[in-house]
Amino acid sequence: MNILEAVFTGITQGAMIALVALGYTMVYGVLKLINFAHSEVFMMAAYFGLVFLSLLIGDVSAVNGIVSPEAASSTFAGVFGALRGHPLAAAAAATVLAMLAASALGIGVERVAYKPLRGRGKGALVRVTPLVTALGMSVLLQNLAQLLFTARFRPYPQVLSGEVQVPGLGAITSSRALILGASIIVMIGLELIVKRTWFGKAMRALSANEEAARLMGVRTSRVISMTFALGSSLAALGAVLFCLDQSQVYPTMGVVIGTRAFVAAVLGGIGSITGAMLGGLLIGIIGELVKLTDYSGGVDVLVFLVLILVLLVRPAGLLGSTRTEKV
Amino acid sequence: MRVAHPTRASLALADGAPLLELTDVKVSYGGIKALKGVDLRVFPGEIVAMIGANGAGKTTTLKSIMGLVPLAGGAVKLAGRPLAQDTTEQRVAEGISLAPEGRAIFPNLTVLENLELGAYLHRDAKAMKETLEDVTELFPRLGERMKQEGGTLSGGEQQMLAIGRALMARPRLLLLDEPSLGIAPKLVQQIFRAIAEIARSGVTILLVEQNTRIALSTSQRAYVLRTGEIALEGDAKELASNPEIQAAYLGG
Amino acid sequence: MARGQAGKSGGLRWSRLAVGAGVLGVALLCDLYLADFVHDSSIRQLFMLAACNVLVASSLNVINGMAGQFSIGHAGFVGLGGYTSAVIASNLHEMLGGGEPTFARSFIVVPVCLLASATLAGIFGFLVGLPSLRLRGDYLAIVTLGFAEIFRLVIATAQAGEDGSPIARALSRLGGQNGYMGIDNQGIPLYAGPFWVFGLAFVLGVVAWRIKFSGWGRALRALREDEIAAAAVGVDPTRYKVTSFVIAAVGAGVAGGLMAIMRDGTPIVNPDNYNFQASFDAITMVILGGSGSVTGAAIGGVFITFSIKAIEQVQATSAVQALRREFESLDLNALRMIVYALVLVLLMVVRPEGLLGERELFQKRRGGRGGSGPDAPRAGAKAEAA
Repeated sequence: MNILEAVFTGITQGAMIALVALGYTMVYGVLKLINFAHSEVFMMAAYFGLVFLSLLIGDVSAVNGIVSPEAASSTFAGVFGALRGHPLAAAAAATVLAMLAASALGIGVERVAYKPLRGRGKGALVRVTPLVTALGMSVLLQNLAQLLFTARFRPYPQVLSGEVQVPGLGAITSSRALILGASIIVMIGLELIVKRTWFGKAMRALSANEEAARLMGVRTSRVISMTFALGSSLAALGAVLFCLDQSQVYPTMGVVIGTRAFVAAVLGGIGSITGAMLGGLLIGIIGELVKLTDYSGGVDVLVFLVLILVLLVRPAGLLGSTRTEKV
Repeated sequence: MRVAHPTRASLALADGAPLLELTDVKVSYGGIKALKGVDLRVFPGEIVAMIGANGAGKTTTLKSIMGLVPLAGGAVKLAGRPLAQDTTEQRVAEGISLAPEGRAIFPNLTVLENLELGAYLHRDAKAMKETLEDVTELFPRLGERMKQEGGTLSGGEQQMLAIGRALMARPRLLLLDEPSLGIAPKLVQQIFRAIAEIARSGVTILLVEQNTRIALSTSQRAYVLRTGEIALEGDAKELASNPEIQAAYLGG
Repeated sequence: MARGQAGKSGGLRWSRLAVGAGVLGVALLCDLYLADFVHDSSIRQLFMLAACNVLVASSLNVINGMAGQFSIGHAGFVGLGGYTSAVIASNLHEMLGGGEPTFARSFIVVPVCLLASATLAGIFGFLVGLPSLRLRGDYLAIVTLGFAEIFRLVIATAQAGEDGSPIARALSRLGGQNGYMGIDNQGIPLYAGPFWVFGLAFVLGVVAWRIKFSGWGRALRALREDEIAAAAVGVDPTRYKVTSFVIAAVGAGVAGGLMAIMRDGTPIVNPDNYNFQASFDAITMVILGGSGSVTGAAIGGVFITFSIKAIEQVQATSAVQALRREFESLDLNALRMIVYALVLVLLMVVRPEGLLGERELFQKRRGGRGGSGPDAPRAGAKAEAA
């Protein structure tokens, strides 16, 4: 594998990581809270995608133990039978459904674990309690997946096959091309949402100053919910794309990918949306380049080292605001 | 200034009834009584000043009007209607706007975006455009800096932005918290001329200010707040000549 | 804390010494005769494991409870201590001629092992604590997690037979993913009997108690409640925060060392013993009991240990095994984690200060000396009112 190829693979990896990283960064922006459960929402979304896709293409072999073949043929066949012969359309529909389900999950996590803590006074516990609930939700979801789906590695149905010719690089798999294309479109869309829409402006206002945002009439809890929904659906998109490209689904996948995504968010400057995209790409490329060396097993060690280094040298990350935070 | 808002019903207010009324408002922070029962009334079209030393409870009074702090007792009424059940957002929708202490503009948003957010609950495009014109007429400096990030403005310009942003909601009642704080004297003059101008167009103003001299000269009536209670109230000119006030707040 | 009373009643000091000697005596008797009374070695292991976890919890309590920082990588320090003691005990054992680990020899092996574990963990505690000067709570939490994961991954991914640097070769001798099983895979010599385990749990528990009620502990609490105010009255945040990390790491190192060479324990240390779930268990121990409470941490440590073991026992029963053949996904440990996570989230919502809060069991009322209770005015609120 040559370096150019590794960089390209790294970019597709990175684009996917960036999609997950965006969720961390947006939630941190509005709540000043690291949503540890985000990586598990990503993992759950991969399962949602798998279940929906299996049902839509009418092949439930990958989800045995989760969905019974009868349920698949009876309930879903009537509604979505039309998509049986069109794997691409089925994949798209499954992605959208997974995004919706993940949004609901994200909002649910926020309602259960974070919302009840808001508006508590100051003091030492206020810093720690959201961390504990965030960790709690993360552990809860991961073990729930363990119970619901078993620890087994489940392969995604490979609906995308074939290759696309890219000038200068030669042939790349069409799934990679799709990842890249979809990520670019989504990130441009997100940039527009954040910069141009009322929701985007309200979100940025809330990040800057919650009380002032409320004085503008921003309903903070609604904006927070929408932020969670948006972040979770991006993670879902990343999850489905990731699995379509190469991977299997397993309950601890959130820890592996989620950690990298989190590091990407911190590296780029948590709270900064462009930073998350940049961080994702960097982490993706670094990861692929490391695989070329003798230390291919050490990617995650390196990822954590990068994280600690960034936190020590430049806690605000590459693009984060350097305004000091008031205590 | 155009102040009537097309999407908000006008208030039915009996003659001589106050627009804003606080009765026996109490607020405490974790056992510390910040307000010990404040009574205050603001009539339509007035500029009312609230003066007092640091920590007397002025900001807390404004926050209690906006619903940013929970009341430990008493009631806040807008045009006779109790606001107890209303969230901050609802109060903004009903026509109360606050330009908070220390400006609290959004530093990483542009001046234009800051102003647009002021109209968050009133997104009528035509009304927004009109109000934007009015605000830039009132503060020409803001017009020149529309594309700049709010954080790059000077203190005085940020104050103008905070007032302009509050005006974007076309409030009936404008609450101003220390508009002169940390601002060059020349700009303070400008800002208070603008405040008078806003009042002339029909907006009722409750002004909290430590700069007693300028507050009393701008307002018609005033309240003096001391350790969470109203110590004095009355006509602004009379208060300005009150020897006690002169000694305590006007430096002789 | 006894300074004022010591002059009045010299008897108090003697009675304390007597209690200490009594406990150590009981621990000694346990060491010699416990196996005769409790025949089931898994039960003996359980009790000793509980004592070790009390150490894990009370050391984490210094950071998470008293200092108000938040570490989610405590297992890293425990693991560091574990591997250090395992390696040293194995080598010392070889040097002393092998054979059965005797009680007499444990007086050489255990102190050396634990000292090394404590030192190494302490050094890393210092390094991990350094960023606490600059980083806010959640970022710092990530650093601790990063440290623990790096430790685990470095050991787990070290590959044998590599002709790389001496460090790589040394690491690969730790067994990688399969764990370290002593020299030539003959198992780690298990020297630490009940005397050491119970004795140290008691002694270090007392130390934790003394720390909490010392001037140092009060300064730490002041810092936790309001850093700026505390700094204004002369508490140096830097020193206190880093020191609390070092103390916690040393405690965790000792606990890990004890667990690795514990009699009736398993003669193997595995990187997976020190994963995030282990850190989360430690957090649960501290929070269940009450952040900042020494006795609470002890209760939490005992409770979590017993519940983990109980689940393992139930999981192994034939009934559950039969059920598992039917329902593949029935994983009682996952269920346990779900329950803990739920309890933790609910506790944070309903009673964030934990079971005991900062209070202690067996604590005499001392005019508010026990730290700020839930109803004490918070310094932050005062500042906000201004």
